Amino acid sequence: MSLIRQLNQQQSLSSFLPPRALTQIQAIAVKEFKDNLRNRWLWLMAGILLILSLCVSVMGSAVSGTLVISESAQIFSGLVTLAVFILPLGAILLSYDSFVGERQSGTLLLLLTYPIARWHLVCGKLIGHAYVMACACLLGFGFTALLLVFRAESAWQVLVIGFIHLISSGILLSLIFVLLGYCVSLCVREKAKALGVLLLFWFVLVLVYDLVLLTALVSMAEILNRHLFNLLILINPTDLFRALNLLATPADSLSAKSSLILIAQTGMGLPLMYFVFVSWIVALLMVCCTIFNRQEV
Amino acid sequence: MSHFTNNNIPRQVRTLMTKQTADQGDVAVKAVGLSKLYGEFEAIKDLNFEVVAGQTLALLGHNGAGKSTLIKMILGLVSPSAGQLFVQGQEVQATRVNLSLSLGYLPENVSFYDNMTAHELLSYFAKLKGVALVRVKPLLEEFGLIAAKDKRLCTFSKGMRQRLGLAQVMLAEPKVLLLDEPTVGLDPLASAFLYQKMAQLKAQGCAIIISTHELGLVQDQMDRALILGQGRMLALGDLQRLREATSLPSLIEIHHFTPLQYQQLLNQAFFASFIALSTSERVCLMVPDALKVKMMQQLQSLKIYEFSIVPPSLQDIFHFYMASLQSQSTPSSNSFGHPTYVKSGLVA
Repeated sequence: MSLIRQLNQQQSLSSFLPPRALTQIQAIAVKEFKDNLRNRWLWLMAGILLILSLCVSVMGSAVSGTLVISESAQIFSGLVTLAVFILPLGAILLSYDSFVGERQSGTLLLLLTYPIARWHLVCGKLIGHAYVMACACLLGFGFTALLLVFRAESAWQVLVIGFIHLISSGILLSLIFVLLGYCVSLCVREKAKALGVLLLFWFVLVLVYDLVLLTALVSMAEILNRHLFNLLILINPTDLFRALNLLATPADSLSAKSSLILIAQTGMGLPLMYFVFVSWIVALLMVCCTIFNRQEV
Repeated sequence: MSHFTNNNIPRQVRTLMTKQTADQGDVAVKAVGLSKLYGEFEAIKDLNFEVVAGQTLALLGHNGAGKSTLIKMILGLVSPSAGQLFVQGQEVQATRVNLSLSLGYLPENVSFYDNMTAHELLSYFAKLKGVALVRVKPLLEEFGLIAAKDKRLCTFSKGMRQRLGLAQVMLAEPKVLLLDEPTVGLDPLASAFLYQKMAQLKAQGCAIIISTHELGLVQDQMDRALILGQGRMLALGDLQRLREATSLPSLIEIHHFTPLQYQQLLNQAFFASFIALSTSERVCLMVPDALKVKMMQQLQSLKIYEFSIVPPSLQDIFHFYMASLQSQSTPSSNSFGHPTYVKSGLVA
């Protein structure tokens, strides 16, 4: 009896604490992270990144008939190409049903009856998914980085700096596609449609746009204005990611034969590129919140 | 508040009726001229009603009548096209987030995150509501879910999910509880449990709005019913008022009579027009309220004392309004179409 009384007293004192935005955002973020830990999505993504990055780094030379670790510039070129394909795809698969899935199951309706602002929900999900992508990138690329650094006889600093930029810009690139996933997930009524639309986005932004831009850069570099190229790179986050990582690679490594060097020679500094990445994230976050706030459930 | 329909009672009178209800206690929910348009479709048309603290309002209507839209409007998830909606004296749209603390909502076919456990789910909702986690365990015990607290929700039966849904509603002791068809697919025991919890909340002063098609169950639990048809309010009032307003006849069933009394019943002109069924074992009379006393006197004059009076049920009243909605005219009050008479075997 006394236990119940004590419990009731505790409840009367603390059960109606004012809801705090940070607690709510944290609760949503933790829930999203745990979901992806439970359904093993995180391990799958980390495993894919690890296997592919090891393949690119260690087995990349197999085509030339030898099995040696490639030069750092070649490794990063391969890893960037790998990340540009895999990370946006992973982010899309992570986020496509974030809202449309909850809407279909009815949990979104229930959540919105709680004293939480809609932007709390978007931010909570984003932070949770950011954790997931960050862990996947750190596990996937981090292990490869450790292996390469331990095997490197000299210039291990180059590798460390390169991987820091690869992982950090990879996380930012993933977040952009996660937010793109939210936008589509908020706008459509079926999960399959959301996935379809996002795969179309992936196809255009990762494959088509990149090819067109590279072709234009190579063939019309002397005719077209450099500022226009810069702008075109800024418009597409995947190209921004490529450019940033090539720029982050030390100058001597740039001598490696790669058509992507042209992108790296955009004249933009790394801080500006990171700023553009963050601006993309802020802009998409605002778009998401605006779409969500205007919707009736 | 007495029964009225939007069509035949002027706005001034409705306002007066609304004021009369407000005097009965604290108004938990109040709608004034509430309308909702989706394009050109009018989902809700000029609703005026109030729910007082400690009252249960049954929200009745055909599918697509606007019940769920109205509930979403009270929750602040759908904004009205016209009119105002107040919860606890505050306008819903202006203070949605703050009001959510005093609102509890249990949706139809409650769905949760299947990979979570019951304990995790309630803890998650407690954090979102700003409620201390110490409240989770007693709630799980109260709702008989403590043994299954660590089981994944994908293994839960519908009844268990509904109990969990009600537990999440009770996390913050709501002042207004909104239930959207909560007993769909539940077995009688689970339904009884839900109504028992509803009664507890009501006793604590919680205003309850329940949307349901299970009229037999809700009839004993509700204080008033709001009947919607095509987004319009067809009727609002307690059962007695609704009975008076519809003028549906009561059913008088006579089981014990002698052959002589049976012959007298059949032969007397007074009874002839009221007899709905007559066999040597049972006689049923359909009697308008106005003639009920006289009928009883007549039966007593024949020395028939054992009979039962079955007043029209909520289901009869609902059928009456739905029939009037379909035909756009009030059907005869002696209609045989409603369920009490079907149940009694008077009509096939």
